Formats: sequence, C-alpha cells, structure tokens
Amino acid sequence: MFERFTRDARTVVKAAETHARGLGSPTIEAEHLLLALASHTPPVAPLEHAGLDHDAVLAALGAARDRSLMAVGIAAGDFDLPPAPVTRHPRFAASAKTALARAVKASAARHDRRIAAGHVLLGLLAAEAGTVPRALAAAEVDRDDLRTSTMAWLDAT
Amino acid sequence: MMPIDLDLPRDPADGLAAVVELRRLADRLEDAEVVRAVQDGWTWSLIAEALGVTRQAVHKKHAKRLKGLGVEPRRG
Repeated sequence: MFERFTRDARTVVKAAETHARGLGSPTIEAEHLLLALASHTPPVAPLEHAGLDHDAVLAALGAARDRSLMAVGIAAGDFDLPPAPVTRHPRFAASAKTALARAVKASAARHDRRIAAGHVLLGLLAAEAGTVPRALAAAEVDRDDLRTSTMAWLDAT
Repeated sequence: MMPIDLDLPRDPADGLAAVVELRRLADRLEDAEVVRAVQDGWTWSLIAEALGVTRQAVHKKHAKRLKGLGVEPRRG
C-alpha cells in the first residue's frame, strides 16, 4: 500500500507513530495522523489556514476529551494523574487504518496517481464519528470547509 | 464530581466518546494506582487480586515500567 504514497505522506505515517509513542498511546490512532499532518514541514496549507498547528491540535484533542468526559459527569481535572509513559511499539489501530484506507480511496476518486499528505487529510476528514471530528469541532473548524480547501490544495499541487 | 446519570438526554456520540475517554482514563489510573500500591508495599499477587486479573497479567503489564521508575515490590 505504501508504495504509492509520496515521500511526504510516508513521513506523516512514520511521524504518527512518533506522536503516539510520545503521548504514551499503545496504539496509533487517527488523531496521531492529524498531529503528524499538523506538525509537518512544509506546513500542510489547509491546516495552516485553519489555524491547526501541532499545539492547536493537541489543545483541541484535550478539549474534546474533557468535553466527552464532562458529558458523563466526569471532570478530567479531578484526576491528578501523571502523564502517560512513553510507549515503545504502538500498533496501528482501526481509526488510523481506516483513515489510510480512505486516503487511498480519495486518491482513486480524484484519479490522482499517488497518495499524498492531502489525501491522508481527506481520509481523516471522512470520519463522521470518533476523536478527529470531535477535535475539529472543539477547534471550531468546519469539516466541510477543510475538506474543500484540501481538495483545492491537491488541485494546485 | 456528579454521579453518572444515564437517564440524561445525551447524543450517543457524546456517550460513545465518553466510553473511549473513560477507557483511556482507566488505563492511566491503573498505571498510577499500581505504582502507589507497590510503594505502599503491595505484592503483585494482591494487586492482581484487586484488579481481578492474574498475577502474570499484572506483572507482564507493569513490571518493566515500574522497574524503569525504580519501583520494585516485595517478592510475591
């Protein structure tokens, strides 16, 4: 599958593992792909224009987490827990695999030859439930607008 | 902290997201409480009993991490 990924897209996939490890996650999730895209150099233009750099995405993930827990009456701040320890070999979990499969589909739908970082972003944006859409909502970023600007960015590059 | 009121009208999206976050919170709580238990002198066996899992499972999950933190339980 990765043979048709561009170098940028492969870098993003590898970086997702680094982010998962650093956050102490035993799995690589879609949100780690989003963090990787938001941290990428050169910056992914549609994310940059939406104000979603690494820190903004991290903050949005935290806000979404707090909001989700508050929905069942739990105040995350009540738990004075140490940060999760770095994990050694996080494995790709369903959300990340689905995002990447959708990236491949998005590329095919556009008749693009390769799968670039922009397609990975489209793959993430296809999710209708889960951590990524909730983080985008917490950041007040409109999913459809971001999808449109990502398509335009892919058209231009 | 409010008690969990499962009758509150709530978008299932919120409830399902809460499930995900509660699982992650539980994992981090387990990590922290295992350290505290060992520091309090608990054995692996007793920790396992408290968690409702086998001693082997607790050891496999936590021993290396605790060793890295310089925390070691008494034999057991």
